[in-house]
Amino acid sequence: MKRFLALYASVAYAFLYVPLLVLGAFSFNASRIAVWQGFTWQWYRNVFRNEALLDGTIHSVVIALGATILATASGTLAAYAIWKRSAPLLTNSLYLSLLTPEIVTGVSLLAFFQWAFRYLHLQLGLDTVILAHVSFCLAYVVLVVIARLRTMDSSFEEAALDLGATEWQAFRHVTLPLLWPGIVAAALLCFTVSFDDYVVTSLVAGVNSETLPMMIYAMARRGVSPEVNALSVLITVALGALILLAGRLERR
Amino acid sequence: MNRRTFLLGSAAVATACTSAAKRRLNVYNWENYVAGSTIPDFEREFDCRVRYATYGSAEEMLAKVMSGNSGWDVVFPSNSFVQPMRELGLLARLDHSLLSNLHNVADRFQAPEWDPQLNFCVPYMHSATGILYSKSVSRLPLAWSDLWTDSYQRRVTMLDDPAEVFGACLKRLGASINSGNPVELRHARDLAIQEKPLLRAYLNEEVRDQVVAGDVLVAQMWAQVAQVAMDNSSNLAFSFPSEGFALYADNASILRESKHQQLAHEFLNYLLRPNVAAKICEEMRTASANGAARSILPKSLRENAVLYPPAKVLARGEWFRAIPAAPQRLRDRYWTEIKAA
Amino acid sequence: MRRLRAWFLLPGATIMAVLFFAPLLIVVLYSFLSRGAYGGVELPWTASSYTRVFDSLYLAILWRSIWVSALSTAICALLGFPLALYIARAGSNRTLLLNLVMLPFWTSFLIRIYAWMFLLRDTGLINSFLLAVHVIRQPLPLLFNTGAVILGLVYGYLPFMVLPLYATVEKLDPSLLDAAADLGASPAITVWKVIVPLSKPGILAGSLLVFIPCLGAYLTADLMGGGKSVMIGNVVQNQFTTSRDWPFGAAISLLLMAVALLVTRVIGRKGEQLL
Repeated sequence: MKRFLALYASVAYAFLYVPLLVLGAFSFNASRIAVWQGFTWQWYRNVFRNEALLDGTIHSVVIALGATILATASGTLAAYAIWKRSAPLLTNSLYLSLLTPEIVTGVSLLAFFQWAFRYLHLQLGLDTVILAHVSFCLAYVVLVVIARLRTMDSSFEEAALDLGATEWQAFRHVTLPLLWPGIVAAALLCFTVSFDDYVVTSLVAGVNSETLPMMIYAMARRGVSPEVNALSVLITVALGALILLAGRLERR
Repeated sequence: MNRRTFLLGSAAVATACTSAAKRRLNVYNWENYVAGSTIPDFEREFDCRVRYATYGSAEEMLAKVMSGNSGWDVVFPSNSFVQPMRELGLLARLDHSLLSNLHNVADRFQAPEWDPQLNFCVPYMHSATGILYSKSVSRLPLAWSDLWTDSYQRRVTMLDDPAEVFGACLKRLGASINSGNPVELRHARDLAIQEKPLLRAYLNEEVRDQVVAGDVLVAQMWAQVAQVAMDNSSNLAFSFPSEGFALYADNASILRESKHQQLAHEFLNYLLRPNVAAKICEEMRTASANGAARSILPKSLRENAVLYPPAKVLARGEWFRAIPAAPQRLRDRYWTEIKAA
Repeated sequence: MRRLRAWFLLPGATIMAVLFFAPLLIVVLYSFLSRGAYGGVELPWTASSYTRVFDSLYLAILWRSIWVSALSTAICALLGFPLALYIARAGSNRTLLLNLVMLPFWTSFLIRIYAWMFLLRDTGLINSFLLAVHVIRQPLPLLFNTGAVILGLVYGYLPFMVLPLYATVEKLDPSLLDAAADLGASPAITVWKVIVPLSKPGILAGSLLVFIPCLGAYLTADLMGGGKSVMIGNVVQNQFTTSRDWPFGAAISLLLMAVALLVTRVIGRKGEQLL
C-alpha cells in the first residue's frame, strides 16, 4: 500500500512538473519562437533589466498576500460560525459567489466600483484589486475550512467549556489549533488563485496597479515569450527554495 | 492618496521619492507599440513621470474607460472604435496647434474615414489580415477560396475572431467585411461551417510558433504577426487574398476625462516625431502610419511589402467599421452556431 | 455562544454584502436592460435576453459543458485522492509535499497551457519522441480535441481537489486504519470502506471547487481545443468582449449560476451539506 502510494505520487508530481521543465528549457532558447535554436542567457538579462516586471511582481505579491490574509481570517471565522449553527443567507451567497463565472465577477465589480467611486471621488487601484480578490477567495476558504471542521469532533471544545473556559478561549486554544491544517490549505489556495488571476484583475485594476499576470498575458499573447519563461523559472526557483527552507525549519 | 500609499507598502517606496512634484501622464496602449527607450526618453525630456500599461483587446480598454473616471490620459483605439468612443463622449478634441508634427502622418492617413479631420485621433500603426503560409505547399493560398480546398492536409487555421472569419467568408462571397445583410451573413455562416472540417483549429497569434515549426501550413493571420514569423523562418510567405481583405489601424487619442491635456498633447506630438516613430517600428517590426518615419527606416523595412503593401494591393483592402446592434447580434448567434457545429 | 458567533459572522457577511450582493444586483439589472450600441447597457427594460437563452443551441452547449466538466472533476478526484492520502501520511514532510503540489500553479495558467501545447503538437516533444523510436509513423492528433481540453482542465484544477482532500484526510486517525488492517481488511478495502466515506466532505468540497471553474472555463477550450468547440464559458466571454452584448451575457451567466446551484444542491442533499 505504502509503496504503491509512493510510486503513484511520484508519477503525479511528474505530471505536475513536466510543463515546467519545458518552460525551463525554452527560457534558454536563443530564438523568440518555440523552436530550439541554441543556448542563451539573454532572456534572464532582459528580465533583470525590466523594471516594470519587477513592479508587477511586487504588485502581485502585495495583492495576493493582502487578499489571502483578509479572506483567510474572515473566512475561517465565518466557517466556524456556520459550523456552530447554519447561516443560510451567508451560505447561499457564498455558494453563488463560487458559481459566478470569472468574467461576470469582473464586469460586475468594475461596474460597482465605478458607480460607487463616482460619488466617493476615488479611483481604481491596488486596493480595489485586493477587495475583488477577497470577494472571490472567501468562498474557497469557507469551503476548505468547513470541510475540515466537519471531520472534527466537537467534544474537545465541549470539554473545554465544561472545564470553565470561555467560548473565545475554547475556540482559540482548542479548535483553532486543530483547524490549522485546513487553514493552511485554504490560505495556499487563496494565494494561488489570487496570484494567478487575470480576468477579474485586468478589469478592476487601476492606473497604478498592473500585476504580473496582466503583463504576462500582454507579453505572451503572441505565443511563447522567452522573457516570460525566464521570469516563470525565476519565480518557481525562488518560491521552491523558500518552500524547501520552510520545510527544513519546520522539521527542526 | 494616503490610503493607496499605505496599501502599496514597499512598492511605493521605490517610486515615491522621485514622483512627488513631477507632472504625470497615464498611457494605456497595446503591447509591442513602443520601443524600450520611447517612454524613458519622453520622461527625461519633458521632466515627467509616465505610468504605462498595456491591454490585449480594444473591448477591455473600452470597458475600463467607459465610466469616464478611469484615470487614463492617452489610449489607442482601433479605427472601428474611434467613432463609438466619440459618440460616447469619451474622446477629447485634439488641439492641432499643439501637434506641430501632425504633418508627418502619411498621406493615406491624413483624412481617414473614421475621423477625416483628425479631430479626435492621430493614426499610429496599421496592419491588415491575410494568409501566412509555408512555401512548401502544393497550391499557394493567394485567395480565400483556396482555404476551402483539400490541398493542405487539414493543417490550416483561421483566426479565433468572429469579425475576421466572417470577413474572409464575406469577401469570398464578394460582399463587404462589414456587411449587416442577413442573407449575406447566413451564406457566410454556411461557408464557415463548410470550411470547419478542413481546419486544424481557430487560433489567434498563438499559432505563430506552430507555423514556424511546420505543424500548420496555412494560417489566416495579421500582417504584423506574420512578419515576426517570417523573420524566424525563410520558408514562409504572406499573401493579401485576391478577393479582398480587412485593414485596421490603431490611433492615439486623448480621453476627455484626462486632467493632463497639455502633457498628453506633448506626448502625442513626441510620438509623431519621425525618429521616435522610426525607432519603434525598427524595434517592434510594426508598420507606422507616420510617413516621415517610414522614409528614414532601413530599406529592407521601408520597402517590406507585408508591412507596407503597395497601393495596388491596398486598393483591395477594406476598413473594419463598428457594427450596429442588430447585425452584431446575428453575427454572434451565427458565430456560436459555427463553433457548435 | 450567540454573541461570539455574531462577531465571527460579521466580517464575512459584510464582504459578501458589499462585494458580492451589490455587484450581483447590477448583473441582474443588466440582464433586464437593452444592449448598448457599443457595449454597456441602455433602457428600455426588457426580458428578451432570457427568451434568447432558452434556445436549443445554447442548451446543447450547456449540456456539453456540464459533461466535460463532470468528467474532468471525476478524473481530478481519482488522481487527487491517492495523492492527498500520500501527502497526509508523509509525516513531517507533509507541508513540504503539499507546497510542492502548489508550486507549479504559481506560474501563469496561460504559460502552462502553452507548455502543454508544445508537448502535444505534431512537432512537439511527445510526437517527436514516439516518431524517433518508431512507435508511430504519423504524429498522433493529441492537440485540438476534447481529450486535450479535459487534460488542460484536469491539469489546471487538480490542486483545487488535492487541497480540500488533504484537509480532511490529514485528520483521519491512523489507528483507525491499523484497526481495519488488524481485522483483516485488504488495503484496497480499507481505502474504499473506511477512508473514502470518512473523507466525503473533502471529496464533495473538492468536486465543487473543480466542477464550477471548469464550467466557466474558456481559455482551455480556446487553446487546447483549438476553438473548434465551445463551452458555455466561451459564450459568456464573447458577450462581454467581441459581441458587446452585456445583457445577454448577464442572462446566460445567471442561467449558468442557477444550473450550478441546482447541481451542487443535489450533491449537497445526497451527502451532507457542503457548506
